Amino acid sequence: MFKKILIANRGEIALRVINTCKEMGIQTVAVYSDADEKAIHVLSSDEAVWIGSSEPLESYLNIDKIIKAAKDTNSEAIHPGYGFLAENYEFAKRCEKEGIVFIGPGSKAIKDLGDKITSRKLMVKGNVPVTPGLTSTEADVDVMAKEAKRVGYPVLIKATAGGGGKGIRIVNSPEEMAEACASASREALNAFGNGEIYFEKFFTEARHIEFQILADTFGNTIHILERECSIQRRHQKIIEETPASVLTPELREKMGAVAVAAAKAAGYVNAGTVEFLLDAENNFYFLEINTRLQVEHPVTEMITGIDLVRQQLEIAAGNKLSLKQEDIMGRGHSIECRIYAEDPANNFFPSPGKIEFLKEPKGPGIRNDCGAYSGFDVPVDYDPIISKLVVHAQTRAQAIDKMIKALKEYIILGIRTPIDFLLDVLMSEPFSKGDVFTNFIETHFSDWEENLNEKDIAAIAYVVDELCNRKIKADDCVSHTAQTPFNTLGNWRL
Amino acid sequence: MEYRLKIQEETIPVEINSKEGNTATATIENREYDLKYTLISDNELHLMVNGKSVNVYLAKNKNGKTILLNGRTYQVQDMDNLPKGPKKKKGIDGPTTVTPPMPAVVIAVNVNEGDRVEKGQKVVVVSAMKMETTLLAPYKGIVIRVNVKESDKVMPGDILVDIDEIKDEEINELEN
Repeated sequence: MFKKILIANRGEIALRVINTCKEMGIQTVAVYSDADEKAIHVLSSDEAVWIGSSEPLESYLNIDKIIKAAKDTNSEAIHPGYGFLAENYEFAKRCEKEGIVFIGPGSKAIKDLGDKITSRKLMVKGNVPVTPGLTSTEADVDVMAKEAKRVGYPVLIKATAGGGGKGIRIVNSPEEMAEACASASREALNAFGNGEIYFEKFFTEARHIEFQILADTFGNTIHILERECSIQRRHQKIIEETPASVLTPELREKMGAVAVAAAKAAGYVNAGTVEFLLDAENNFYFLEINTRLQVEHPVTEMITGIDLVRQQLEIAAGNKLSLKQEDIMGRGHSIECRIYAEDPANNFFPSPGKIEFLKEPKGPGIRNDCGAYSGFDVPVDYDPIISKLVVHAQTRAQAIDKMIKALKEYIILGIRTPIDFLLDVLMSEPFSKGDVFTNFIETHFSDWEENLNEKDIAAIAYVVDELCNRKIKADDCVSHTAQTPFNTLGNWRL
Repeated sequence: MEYRLKIQEETIPVEINSKEGNTATATIENREYDLKYTLISDNELHLMVNGKSVNVYLAKNKNGKTILLNGRTYQVQDMDNLPKGPKKKKGIDGPTTVTPPMPAVVIAVNVNEGDRVEKGQKVVVVSAMKMETTLLAPYKGIVIRVNVKESDKVMPGDILVDIDEIKDEEINELEN
């Protein structure tokens, strides 16, 4: 096993990797930019290397600087996390060239699968069903419109280099084609440095179901069950769960087998995710393979007890998979909510700034992968994810109840979060029934408004706070002793 | 003691009478509340409201206090102690200038000088924290100056596009 690795990422995912390394006795090296001097991954790692200004291209996206940091610290391997360089084949290739182990698949698989067109071709060859649409890129809007007519509207324009919901546009009619192509291409060019686009048929009522896979260098490939990720906003997942309530054991087995076949068709090694669309008739189509650890990997860990980062490290170190397909069992139900710095009452606009107070929910079956703390300044320069709140319970209904409780007890002051929005989604009837489709938010929550039904209590709290502050000045609200639970909770007994 | 508080667009009159120890009574319109309270820290307050236990979390900001209660965010303002300075027009009227709500990068400028724009027309696209946001024309008018170009870094308060407002009567005059 490696003695020391570098983590080429920041925030909660860097911390997630560091945690497993600590358990395995692996030394960790963090990298950071100006904005992240006091970030949690810097504080938690064994070593930290400053790599540049806050601008991502000068730091977390800068291959030269990250390679230099790895060499300077004698790191044997690099974990890329998700986002940034995680799916950049040039980075993986550079690691290979420099003799540093890239904890992920080989650069060729990343390149093939990162290009949606190449991956579609690979899958067709491997007899994996893909969504109807183009299997080559197209710059001519007229040709796009003609082909879209053949497949049938609506269609989804996608960037070949895409990911994270960027460079995607739904087109409902030929008139919308030109503008959608232009803006998708521009967004893709900005996000990935490649503006090439194509389209796939868009299914208005479909589910997004993905399978976690693990593949070692000895040709062993298994799947670690599915994740249901249909609850999305602007093509970005916001709530994920496992198991998917729609899957029968037979369908799960069938899709799992296809996921393994897809990974094999791409020559895949390490942890990855095969994404499928499942239509209303339970037909499923290959969407893409994400060649990284997914944001939503914790729900899989919760129901299987498998540490996916540990598996990644074992595979990268050249060890054989210790798990067999028949060992993989899910127990209970797990749900994840993504907590972003964003304002749901203001069109989900990012809400960066200083976190004045943060209190994490606690209790059995609650996990919070959090990249922030009280006093941390959420930078404007990066993805606004603060944490991933995850619960595990015996049944789906119990998991929903647990998540509702946890969300209510999750306190973040100073920035706005979508906790109230997530609560309303979880408490809604279609969600509790499991009627989740990729158009769920648009259908049920497009005109969402804040539900402030305890205004009296909020008003009372304001006034009491004023009263206390006045009394503190007069020295009779709180005693001078330290404020511990023993003198603030009142009477209690064991 | 009496307060007039504002939450969302609602004004809430609160009368509070401090009692012995950490207790009080409050009246909001005709609703009576018996209160017992413990301040846990600058941000944490434990209340017993008519015998029911509630944990409330607060932070001061320039507009009053943000109060978190059972997962909901309440922005509470004291109407008799509003922040000084020019009142910002907000809510249904929307913004009155084309300015980004946070530090951002200009992705596209959709208008040219001299263009006539309708209220709500897409004027500039900016990107912040990897998300694209479209800034809209705050009113009907003529674009008199475009102050930015693609990939410019912009800050809240920067006026990206100057628009000279045309009132409906003026349009009638222009067209007649």
